[in-house]
Amino acid sequence: MTWNLMDKCCDKCWHTLEYPCRNYIRCRIEGPLCHDDPDCRRKREYRIREILYGKTGFKIKVPMASCTIAAGAQEVYKAVLDEVKSRGINADVTISGCMGMCYMDPWIELSKTGMPSAIYANVKPGQVSKIISEYLGGDVSSAYALRNHTGKAKGEDKVPLLEELPQWKNQVRWVSRNCGIVNPESIEEYIALGGYRGLDKALKMKPEEIIEIIKKAGLRGRGGAGFPTWLKWKIAREQPGDVKYVIMNADEGDPGAFMNRLLAESDPHRVLEGLIIAAYTIGASKGFIFVRAEKPLMAERLSKAVEQARKYGLLGKNILGRGFDFDVEVILSAGAFVCGEETALIAAIEGRTRPRQRPPYPATKGLWGKPTIINNVETLAHVATIMAEGWEKFASMGTEKTKGTKMFCVTGAVQRTGAYEVPVGTTIKKLVEEIAGGPGEGRRIKAVQIGGPSGGCVPASLLTTPIDYETLQKAGAIMGSGGIVVIDDKSCMVDVAKFFTSFTVAESCGKCFPCRIGMKILYDTLTRITEGKGREEDLEILRELGEIVRSASLCALGGTAPNPVLSTLRYFEDEYLAHVRDKKCPAKVCRNLVEYWINPEKCIGCGTCKQNCPSNAISGEPGKKHVIDVSKCIRCGQCFIVCPVGAVEKR
Amino acid sequence: MQTATLLQLKHGQTKLVDLKEVVSFVRSIVECYGGKRQYLMRMMQEIQKHYGYLPREALEELSKQTGIPLVDVLNIATFYHQFTLEPPGYYIIWVCMGTACHLKGNADNYDILKNILGLDNHSKTTKDGLFSLEKARCFGACSLAPVIMITSRDGSERYLHGHVDPLGLRKIVAKYRSKAIKKIKEKKGGRK
Amino acid sequence: MVKVIVNGKEVEVSEGSVVLDAIKKTGYSVPTLCFFKGVYNEAACRMCLVELPNGKLVPSCAYPVSDGLKITTDSERLRKTRRMVLELILAVHKMKCYQCARKGGFCLLLDFAKEFGVEGIPVCAECPLHGEDCLLVKGEPCLGFLTVAGCGSPCTREGTPCFGCRGPVTREDVIESAVKRFIEHGVDLRDLHSRMKLFWSSFPQFKHVFDLVLKYEKKYMGEKK
Ligand SMILES: Cc1cc2nc3c(=O)[nH]c(=O)nc-3n(C[C@H](O)[C@H](O)[C@H](O)COP(=O)(O)O)c2cc1C
Ligand code: SF4
Ligand code: SF4
Ligand code: SF4
Ligand code: SF4
Ligand code: SF4
Ligand code: FES
Ligand code: FES
Ligand code: FES
Repeated sequence: MTWNLMDKCCDKCWHTLEYPCRNYIRCRIEGPLCHDDPDCRRKREYRIREILYGKTGFKIKVPMASCTIAAGAQEVYKAVLDEVKSRGINADVTISGCMGMCYMDPWIELSKTGMPSAIYANVKPGQVSKIISEYLGGDVSSAYALRNHTGKAKGEDKVPLLEELPQWKNQVRWVSRNCGIVNPESIEEYIALGGYRGLDKALKMKPEEIIEIIKKAGLRGRGGAGFPTWLKWKIAREQPGDVKYVIMNADEGDPGAFMNRLLAESDPHRVLEGLIIAAYTIGASKGFIFVRAEKPLMAERLSKAVEQARKYGLLGKNILGRGFDFDVEVILSAGAFVCGEETALIAAIEGRTRPRQRPPYPATKGLWGKPTIINNVETLAHVATIMAEGWEKFASMGTEKTKGTKMFCVTGAVQRTGAYEVPVGTTIKKLVEEIAGGPGEGRRIKAVQIGGPSGGCVPASLLTTPIDYETLQKAGAIMGSGGIVVIDDKSCMVDVAKFFTSFTVAESCGKCFPCRIGMKILYDTLTRITEGKGREEDLEILRELGEIVRSASLCALGGTAPNPVLSTLRYFEDEYLAHVRDKKCPAKVCRNLVEYWINPEKCIGCGTCKQNCPSNAISGEPGKKHVIDVSKCIRCGQCFIVCPVGAVEKR
Repeated sequence: MQTATLLQLKHGQTKLVDLKEVVSFVRSIVECYGGKRQYLMRMMQEIQKHYGYLPREALEELSKQTGIPLVDVLNIATFYHQFTLEPPGYYIIWVCMGTACHLKGNADNYDILKNILGLDNHSKTTKDGLFSLEKARCFGACSLAPVIMITSRDGSERYLHGHVDPLGLRKIVAKYRSKAIKKIKEKKGGRK
Repeated sequence: MVKVIVNGKEVEVSEGSVVLDAIKKTGYSVPTLCFFKGVYNEAACRMCLVELPNGKLVPSCAYPVSDGLKITTDSERLRKTRRMVLELILAVHKMKCYQCARKGGFCLLLDFAKEFGVEGIPVCAECPLHGEDCLLVKGEPCLGFLTVAGCGSPCTREGTPCFGCRGPVTREDVIESAVKRFIEHGVDLRDLHSRMKLFWSSFPQFKHVFDLVLKYEKKYMGEKK
């Protein structure tokens, strides 16, 4: 066993869990602080170098997060291990978190002393052997990007530097700085990269000072509403009583947003550090991490982080000798979108269901009636980073009203789906086109949906809008969790609105009438429109009812659920009108409004469509042109899907 | 729908679990968590993990042993998506209904799968008990959209299929059908 | 004690009360449906919404008072919202007034429907005749089941079957269950039709009611055979 950075360096170190040393964290890197011994110093330096560059001088990093695993990282990891073993080379094969660049999954990074660090994208297990051979042979020409140049490897000039790529250059990696770099299962690595310094500093301050720093930083909650974090903390801090709670809201439920999962899976100690700082600030001795059960790896990584933190005295009694006790429990949610809502989350922890009316706000009366603060994963990661790096840097980014950076998940019709961190106030255009690469040749962005089921669609004409809570609200969307779905001209806006409405109908807890019944009626009306049974009055109904649901609902789920409908109505009324007036779906998505026909010029007479048609609407002899009998066709679209030459067309 | 499943469980399928075993299993869980209301959800998660679903008997037993009213237990069982009151098929096919997957046509894939498996609007599990079809929210693998995931009932196997081609669905189902049959046979063989 | 301003009128209520208490104290009223003091206070129905100066709508039955809180209990917007919420409730309400325990004076929905002018609740809701006394059960062609309430059902109180003078309820599911009842109790359908014609036949917009009645008659007569 090698010496662990977290362990005593020699007998002179008196730190124990019972009598913790106040300078434990700083001493890990700068130490030893209580005694002077060049050996102890060297031991640390050596270990840190080992952590950063590997023991062998050749490090192979494979990202292990649910996203990359889904894309096959596990197989690649195995292939790498096998390869290293069969060749008998000396290499450190480690795991890391995810960089957020989904389009290049799974990737691996090779770094050898004297060689540039090379990242290979979309690696198949079968390519591993070739990649390693090439790299060891001093050739990096097939890499996707390099982290640095050494001028020694072949093909270096042909491969771009990572930091020169538009999708990296335009980002500001503030909270995600460690993602894809650090090993998420090792507290040692986090500390070697400066982790827990924020906590160390915070514990030396008075809670009021911390609140002041967060206030000066201008941090607003990243969970959706953008409530100033310092204010929430101040309210909770000022409540009387000793029993208070902090909760980390890791119940990321918005489909199309995964930045919380990414952060917690790739750099779990950072968010945990934020939670501990929050607890110290408001005076809580018990915290909960509420994780979505559908994201098991996130729960696993966070549990592991909690365990390690407990082992080294960062959780438990008398943390770092500052007389502050705090412990954390990880709770698996059983999956309901509404559980992300603060009061529903509290209900879930208490063993109940459904949100309740606010006020009283959780900060005054929350879990078991005690003052409770609930913060988003990203917010907490920001807290830890601000405490470590200082508020000045954070406050220098962003807009007048909102400081700092925010992570956005860009999916849909773009070439480079991924999770990117940019300063608040970056324009949508820059994020979608420069960073995520736009929709690709020949396609046109029609709209951008921001904020998931609670958000709205921003039309292409407003792409130059800077992303901020207020500007987005004005445009009819919300920042929400930061999920951005790019919609191109292949999608129908009515269908998009219907999709989000179906989501909220399914996720409405059913407690209050406007949301439970109103959303269902909105959904039914939209369905009618997409089926070609809509009337022009329906648009008015949608608008009016949408407004009512928005203003009368009990919780923010209902309060935001009509946004997708209202915003599409606002910007794409012509598409709605095409559906209700001309009974046409301009994007040819709504099945009942398209007609299938077989283009005789393309049909090869294979008969596949005929076999698959459930209503015998297709006739034709084998080898001859087939035709669809429109009166029999039920518009199931099977023939369109199965035709091998694409002869079935919509019109 | 929920009442239907409850009734069905009450009348049709009570023999699926062994009552004595249920009592002792629930007791072990209640002891482990101290029977506290706060851990109700966790206890139910344990039960679901053990049986693959929440048998009515186990819930009744849980309510009896913890003193939490059955209606509250059922409230949680029906409110959260993770819980199911029906025994699922050997493999559960999860079709992602997230935004990215929807835009890339996963709703069609769902319909096609329903067709292939011969399910109607009221059933989620095939008659032979090999497959259940479920809708899922985003797996966080949106870059692979459209995505379907196939998990085994006990959760030990997990396969994710990205960039699903509607034409390939039949093949995928066939592959898992033979896999499931093989595994069930192995299990039976092993027991003898 | 805290001071609350309801529609410009100052009132003092004890700390920990809800806005509804203050409203009651000033003599104003708001419609409440789900609130039941000490029993149910979950603010689920949203009928009791009131407006804050910042334009937010909050439920008076659950919103805590604070010093200087200003609220408005009546405005165009509030009336519209309450009315819409009521319409939503009625849209999914089963409307089994015929056999409901609340009929004949205890139906809050009916009271609100009258207040807000939402049609759709049948006369049965106001009719005091219960169970065996119901004219339908006696086989008489009472149109109460199909007729919009609001009159206070003077006719059935006198023992005469309803003539439908206030016009028909146009919801399909209500019509369906009415027809089902008619057939169940052996009401003479020809008699019924002539009664329906009396007030309704001159209005083309009610034609679809006739069509629906005929449709369901066919269905349930067929089933009976
Ligand atoms: C329906 C609904 C779902 C929500 N889901 C989440 C979520 O998944 N994650 C999250 O952090 N906040 C979610 N929120 C926001 C939280 O209620 C809360 O505002 C947030 O956790 C506060 O943290 P912050 O101040 O750090 O942003 C949701 C809110 C609503 C109304
Ligand atoms: S708005 Fe919807 S989710 Fe929120 S309490 Fe009402 S019904 Fe439940
Ligand atoms: S759309 Fe469906 S019903 Fe119509 S021709 Fe094609 S396969 Fe047949
Ligand atoms: S009398 Fe009132 S409560 Fe009863 S069914 Fe009729 S409308 Fe509903
Ligand atoms: S007598 Fe007529 S109005 Fe009264 S309950 Fe019977 S059907 Fe309804
Ligand atoms: S006949 Fe007219 S007044 Fe008499 S009960 Fe019927 S609707 Fe009311
Ligand atoms: S690759 Fe990890 S979030 Fe996309
Ligand atoms: S939308 Fe399907 S995996 Fe995210
Ligand atoms: S009375 Fe139902 S919300 Fe107030």
